[in-house]
Amino acid sequence: MSSDPIAANKPDYSTYPTLDRAQAAAAAQELLALDGRGAPVDMATHHAIERFYLREARLLDEERYRDWYDMLADDLFYWMPLRENRFRRDKRAPFDPSAMALFDERKADIAVRIGRLESTMVWTEDPPTRHVYLVSNVEAFETGIDGQYEVQSAFIQYRNRSEHDDATLAGRRRDILRSTTDGFLLARRLILLPQSILLTKNLSVFF
Amino acid sequence: MRAADLVDTDFGTIDRRIFWDSAIYERELERIFARSWLFVAHESQVETAGSFVTTYMGQDSVIVARADDGIKVFLNSCPHRGNRVCFADSGQGRSFVCNYHGWAFGLDGALKKMPKMGLYKNTPGFRFEDWGLKRARVATYKGLVFATFDETAPSLEDWLGDFRWYLDAVLDAEPGGTEFLAGGATRSVINCNWKFPADNFVGDIYHALWTHLGGAEPTLGRHGGVKVENEGSWQVSVNGHGWEFNDSFLGNAATMGDRDLLRYMRSRQEAITARLGDFRAKMWGSVASATIFPNFSFLPGYFTFRTFQPKGPLKTEIHAWTLVPRNMPEDIKDRFRRGSMRTFSPSGILEMDDGENWEHSTAANAGFVTRNQRLCYAMAPPGEVKEKELPGDVHAGQLSDANQRAFYRRWVTMMDTESWADMPLASPSVAVEAAK
Repeated sequence: MSSDPIAANKPDYSTYPTLDRAQAAAAAQELLALDGRGAPVDMATHHAIERFYLREARLLDEERYRDWYDMLADDLFYWMPLRENRFRRDKRAPFDPSAMALFDERKADIAVRIGRLESTMVWTEDPPTRHVYLVSNVEAFETGIDGQYEVQSAFIQYRNRSEHDDATLAGRRRDILRSTTDGFLLARRLILLPQSILLTKNLSVFF
Repeated sequence: MRAADLVDTDFGTIDRRIFWDSAIYERELERIFARSWLFVAHESQVETAGSFVTTYMGQDSVIVARADDGIKVFLNSCPHRGNRVCFADSGQGRSFVCNYHGWAFGLDGALKKMPKMGLYKNTPGFRFEDWGLKRARVATYKGLVFATFDETAPSLEDWLGDFRWYLDAVLDAEPGGTEFLAGGATRSVINCNWKFPADNFVGDIYHALWTHLGGAEPTLGRHGGVKVENEGSWQVSVNGHGWEFNDSFLGNAATMGDRDLLRYMRSRQEAITARLGDFRAKMWGSVASATIFPNFSFLPGYFTFRTFQPKGPLKTEIHAWTLVPRNMPEDIKDRFRRGSMRTFSPSGILEMDDGENWEHSTAANAGFVTRNQRLCYAMAPPGEVKEKELPGDVHAGQLSDANQRAFYRRWVTMMDTESWADMPLASPSVAVEAAK
C-alpha cells in the first residue's frame, strides 16, 4: 500500500467546503430551534421560495446533480436523523446531533456522493432510477436575520427502477434559505422521515 | 429433505432453494436461530439498571434489560394472550406492562402483578412463577451480549472458540473497552434471504472488486484504491464464524476518505501492536469483513456491527451500529460516526450497491428452472493450503470461498442434527488472553 491510500487521480474533496465539528453542532441547534413562529414572509418572497423548491425538485428528478449542488451554500448542514420508537414518558431529546444518522453531511460530503453517481460504475443506477419529487405545504418565515428564511415543507418522493422495484418516501423538511444576488442558497436542511425502520433498501437519492 | 443434499461444501455448490423455500426457512428458525448464541446488544446500550432495548432473536421479539443483578433477555410477548409487551426500541423503567390486560413484568421478566390480582390468587393451580416472560441464557464477550433459548447449547466460550482470539483485534485493540455510538440501530429492509448478506460478510471480499467500483471511486480513485490480493491476506473460520482480512491495518478505513482519521489510526498502530502483537494489530482496520454465525457481522475499519434479522425467506432487516473504543477522542468517534454512515448505512455509498445484489440473487429464484440451478461457491485459488500456526481453520489468501463453504458446513450440521451431543465444536487451541 502506498503511503497515502487516498489516491491522487480524483478531485481532492478535502479542499471542498465543509464545517468543523463545532460549526456543525451549532448548525444542528439552529435547525432544532426552527418552530414556525416567525412572521410569515411577504407574498413575493414566498413565491420566489416556492419557485426555488420546484426547480430543486426538478433538477433532482432529472439527475442534474451539479446544478443542484450549485444551489447549496458552502456552509451547508444537511441532516436526516434516525427515528426511534420511545415511550412518551422518555425524557431524552428526540433528535441528538451526536447520534447516528442517515445523512449528516457538509457540502464536501454531497460532492463525494455526486462523485459516486458520476463514476459511471454504479450498477444500481444503471439502468437509471426514475424519480418524482413532490414538495408541498410550504410555509416561509422571517428569522430576524436579513435575507435568511426559515422554510417548513412536506414532500413525497417516488422512485422506480427496473421492473417492480419502487419506493415511496414521505417526510418533512425544515430549511434555512439564504438570499443572495444569484438567488437563494440552501444553508441548512433537516429531513424527517416518519419511518423508524427504513422500509426500503437504500437512500440512493437526495432530499 | 436433508440439508446435506442441498449443499456440497467440498467442491462448493449450493442448491438455490435454500434461499427461497419457506419450509427450509421454518427449519432454520427452529434449528439455527432457536439454538445458536445470537447477538442481542452491546453492554453500553444497557448501561444502567432499568435501561432496556428491544431486538429480535430469529423472528422472536425480545427485551434486553439491565436488572440490578445483570443483563436479562426474555421474550417480548405476554404469556397471557400473547400481545407484544414493550413497543419502545429503547428506554428506562422498572417494569414492562402489557397493554392488553395490564399484566406487569419486572426487569428480569418475572410476572409481578396485574389488575384484580385476587382473581388469580384464588385460582387453584395458578402460580406467578409459571407465567413470567420466557428467559434466555445470557453471556457476554468483551462488551458484546449474546443470548440463546437453548438450555442444552454449549457455552458462549465454546461457541466462539478460537474466534475470540481474532475478535480481540476489534474488541480489545485499545484499553478501556468499547461502546456503540448513540442513537440506536440504523434499520432498513432488504428483500433478500438472510444468508446472502451473512455469507457475503463471512468471506466474500471478491465482490468488492466489482460491486463497489463506483462507490470507492470518489475516495480511492478510479480502479486505484481497492487493493485486494492473496499475498498478505487470510481467511479464518471457527465453528462457521469467519473473517477474511489482509495486513493493511487501515485499508477499509481508507475508503471513508478522511485523512485526519487515517492519521489518527496510524498514530495508534504502535500502541495497538504492543497490545495485540503485529499480526492482530494489522487486522484492526484492514480490508476485511466477518460474520459470527449465523447472522451477526462486522467490518473492521468502519466498525459497523450489524445483525441480518430474518423476516421470512425473502425478507431481511439490517440493524446496524458503530462500535468504537470508549477512550477514543470524541472528535475521532465523530469521524467514525459520519464515516461509517456515509459508507455502510442505507445511504452509504458502498452498502447501497450490496443490497441491490442480494435482492436480485433472491428474487431470481422465483423461476422454477432458475431455482434448480446450483450456485458456485468453489473458488479455492491456493487449494486447501492451511496455515497451521494460527488458531482456527486458516487459509492463506482472502480471495477465496473457503469461509463461505465453512459457513454452510455449519449450517448443514445444525439443520440436520437433532442434538448438540452430535454437533461437535472445534476445541479452542489457544488460551484467549486478555490483551495487555
